[in-house]
Amino acid sequence: MSKVLVVEDESHLAEGLRFNLEAEGYDVRVVETGEAALEAVSNGFDVLVLDVMLPGKDGFSVMSELRGKGQFIPTLMLTARNHPEDVLKGFEAGADDYLTKPFDLNILIARIRGLLRRKAWLTAAVNPAPPPKDRFVFGDKSVEFDTLQLRVGENVFPLTLMEANVLRYLIEHEGKPVSRKNMLENVWGLHEDTDTRAIDNFIVRLRRYLENDPSRPKHLLTVRGVGYRFVK
Amino acid sequence: MVVAGRRKSIAFFIALGAGLILVTLLLYIGWVLLNWRHGILLFLGVILTLVLIGGVVLNTIFLVREIRRNAQHDAFINAVTHELKTPVASIRLYLETLQKRSVEETKRQEFYRIMLDDSDRLLATIEQILRTGRIGHSSRVASSPVDLGSVVEHCLDRARKLHHLEQGSLEYQPGPALTVLGDPDEVGAAVSNLIDNAVKYSGHDVKVKVETSEVDGRFATVRVSDKGPGIPKAELKQIFKRFYRAPGPLATRVKGTGLGLYIVRSVAKRHGGRAWAESDGPGRGSTFVLELPIAPRGLK
Repeated sequence: MSKVLVVEDESHLAEGLRFNLEAEGYDVRVVETGEAALEAVSNGFDVLVLDVMLPGKDGFSVMSELRGKGQFIPTLMLTARNHPEDVLKGFEAGADDYLTKPFDLNILIARIRGLLRRKAWLTAAVNPAPPPKDRFVFGDKSVEFDTLQLRVGENVFPLTLMEANVLRYLIEHEGKPVSRKNMLENVWGLHEDTDTRAIDNFIVRLRRYLENDPSRPKHLLTVRGVGYRFVK
Repeated sequence: MVVAGRRKSIAFFIALGAGLILVTLLLYIGWVLLNWRHGILLFLGVILTLVLIGGVVLNTIFLVREIRRNAQHDAFINAVTHELKTPVASIRLYLETLQKRSVEETKRQEFYRIMLDDSDRLLATIEQILRTGRIGHSSRVASSPVDLGSVVEHCLDRARKLHHLEQGSLEYQPGPALTVLGDPDEVGAAVSNLIDNAVKYSGHDVKVKVETSEVDGRFATVRVSDKGPGIPKAELKQIFKRFYRAPGPLATRVKGTGLGLYIVRSVAKRHGGRAWAESDGPGRGSTFVLELPIAPRGLK
């Protein structure tokens, strides 16, 4: 839930704003003075709605003070003054948007949404989402390649790097037969004419983790005369 | 920013005036050195120099005053803009809310009450502005006998309703029955302004006392005392000027147009009376007095 801080000393307007923003699903807090706003703003609000004519510090000085302190909370200034110089003064102080009273409720809400949307984009650009987990799921089984774990139902089996690589290579060629020679070349990087039965040992171990009945495999199938094949 | 700009221009014009006076004096010294033998020329020089200096001084005073008046006018426009637009914004917000959302009955009643309050506030501001215009234009005042006691009671009722006050926060000590000669509407407006101010500046803890009394058998006074922030000595007279609002944080906390006390003073003058403020200084409350002549016996 997005948190909105409303700074407005006219109690009627403040309560009307609170009612509507709460109806829009925001978490709203109202303060009456610029000083209180400066104090409250660091409590993780997403948007600031700031009146200009406040007792004590006015909205313009609150705004420039916040920006001066490196507090870049998206801010909508709200005021009865609509001279171009007042609007410019608001933007100069560091406001992101400016709306004059009386305002249209729908436009106010749309502008707050706009500020929240831009904030979300900005946050996404600065902290990109973590890459999707490197895992493969089939049935009640899953292979987590980044943590080298194989989950079968409730059981967790640790894999060695090589076991994981063999499994990944087979999964990448799901449904197709893969020759022992190809596996040696692509998983181990060996091109010599090596004994390929080493691979069979890996398969046996993997089957022990993976198959309900290792003697009658359902996922790691032997392809006679070629190698192995993975099916889901 | 604007205030700094204004101070700069005031300083500039004062410096310009002083500079011009200096130039005039230097010219005069030159004139004396050239014409010290001719008495009549020296005499003419003195007259001319004094006239020039007087002109420069007058001009500077006029300019500075005009700049100050401009500043007050700007502040007034700002205050009036705020006082007119805020209630409209609030009424509009609640109307849109009722139109846009389904609101439960108790909330709905609360919204209606808020909107009525705001329309009262709007009307009060409009009346204040219109009254200022009327008072400024004609000096004639409709005179009929006015029962001061009932006017004050009417004003008290209005204030209690408008500010949602309990009986105890707004106390009334009636004096003897007093009749003044004048316009009941104007007298009522003046008394209401005094009461409104006292309530507004009291903040959350309203303790206002209104008294009427007779002075020397010739004047009727209405005294309105509050326990509010008080008034510095230097401001006691200033606050009755049109558009004037005492500088400082109080002016932003308490909203107003700067017309109320001007109306009070104008009404008092039009009725042949006076209005003044008394205060022991900041933090010690203040008392506002409206003094009006009692109607001659034959007219009561």
